[in-house]
Amino acid sequence: MFEVAGLSYTYSSGRAGLANVSLQAGPGERVVIMGPNGSGKSTLLRLVSTELPAPRGTLRLFESGWDSTSRRLASRRLRGRLGVVQDQAVHFDELTGMENGLFFAELYGVGEPEAEPRLAALFSNFGIEAVRDVEVGEYSYGMRKKLLLAEALVHDPELLILDEPTLGLDPPSQAAFLEILEDRSACGTCSLIATNEPGLARRVATNVVFLSKGEVVAQGAPEELLEGFGGKTTIEVSVTGHTADTIAVEGATVMAQQGRIVAESEMGTEILPDLTIAILATGLEILRINVREPDLADLFTTLTGLHIADSSVRGEDG
Amino acid sequence: MSFPIWRTEWLIARRRRRLMVLNTLIPLLLVTPIAYSAAPAAHAAATFAVLFTLFGTFGSSIPLIRDGESGLLGRLGVAGVSPGGFLLQRVAATATLDLCQLAPSAAVIALGRGASSSDLLALAASATLGLFAANLLGAFTAAVARSVAEGALFAAVSALLLLHLSGTFRPSVPGTWQATVEGWMPFRPLHQSLLALAAPSSSSGVHSHLLPPVLAIFGILAFTGMVGRALMQPGLRR
Repeated sequence: MFEVAGLSYTYSSGRAGLANVSLQAGPGERVVIMGPNGSGKSTLLRLVSTELPAPRGTLRLFESGWDSTSRRLASRRLRGRLGVVQDQAVHFDELTGMENGLFFAELYGVGEPEAEPRLAALFSNFGIEAVRDVEVGEYSYGMRKKLLLAEALVHDPELLILDEPTLGLDPPSQAAFLEILEDRSACGTCSLIATNEPGLARRVATNVVFLSKGEVVAQGAPEELLEGFGGKTTIEVSVTGHTADTIAVEGATVMAQQGRIVAESEMGTEILPDLTIAILATGLEILRINVREPDLADLFTTLTGLHIADSSVRGEDG
Repeated sequence: MSFPIWRTEWLIARRRRRLMVLNTLIPLLLVTPIAYSAAPAAHAAATFAVLFTLFGTFGSSIPLIRDGESGLLGRLGVAGVSPGGFLLQRVAATATLDLCQLAPSAAVIALGRGASSSDLLALAASATLGLFAANLLGAFTAAVARSVAEGALFAAVSALLLLHLSGTFRPSVPGTWQATVEGWMPFRPLHQSLLALAAPSSSSGVHSHLLPPVLAIFGILAFTGMVGRALMQPGLRR
């Protein structure tokens, strides 16, 4: 479906946006790109969507479809096979949601009679059917994002390129989006998704790619990556008050703070009985226990020393 | 052929009623006192030509830069709109809108100066050409500008320079190179027909001057694909 080989991109300032990135995906696969701001996620997506020219390296879209090295410009027909959700939810503000949808459907070669019912169904899935005839200028960010998703899906694209697709979506719309994504994948649609939500990445990805400072740090199936990682389970216990006593549990690092006690352990939830006994022994009451298993964001931090939402490496395009 | 960009521009214009009213009334505010004054025809015509030209150039350049900055043009590019087709549809739509908005001003000039209907008809033809050229110039300046301020500066300077080369600010001297250049300038017929409107007695065969500027415009149209790409794929010029 798409193949990127040795792809590099340099910003006008001379800073490297992407350096020698290689990855590929076939029909039905969902590749998730993770990395902090400025790591090159959006740049990679803009290159694959043919918005930016690929100066170095190779980008191939579809079987015998298009090759960046040929220097041929991406045609309307080729772009009609892509469904793109950019990071900015930009529309014609003076047009209604439905008018915007029909406009983009027409650009993708879907006429109004066919597009209107498809859009109506997508609007219904995303919960914006009530505002379909309202000017987009009055839409909230979340509504704009939902409209953007509907516009990207209306023409049944073969390759979906989604930049932070669930950012700004309410939980029902996120669920609807994931359902649609899984349905489309089952029909052979390939997806390239940039997100920093570890839960979303783990749920949808067939392949996760970690990008840091424009370079691929690691890639593989999420389960494989996490299996090799190990990592620490974090157990957060909400308690009444604060204790000055030291809480020691074998195999865990425990930190006591006002109203909560946080334990980190490579032994998973095995330490939980000892931890609760130790806490109760101090005279505190336990209100709630929250267990968080190590996720892809933790793995990224271990590999790079950077947090996924680290703004210190923010760059020009994200 | 469905021309979605053309249709959308008209739809947006209809929704921006306040802007439509302002774009019609503000030129009227400027032309009415001059049309009904004793201002010499040359001065009046030069003022009208500058107004009509800048109206088209700014009106094209600034919204294009704004749409580029918002990411809308990039989105259209990714959706498969051809750069040349986009630019042609957009320029044609905005030039036609400008023509509609400036029509009341042209009528006031004709009434104020007692011009004939044939002079007004000549203005309609030359204004169509001039406004198309002005909008095209606005698009070209937008393609090289990196901000609205830069775009406004480029649009103003280039439009005034072309108006000067069209002979708007000086008398034409036959046989000189300037006179040859004037004949090819797209704003020349506009200025001449405005001069005819401002001084009906000196009206003379404006139609005969239309062909070279039309050919010049066709020559410039060869670059619309390149300009459209620069607008829709900012990565190419940054």
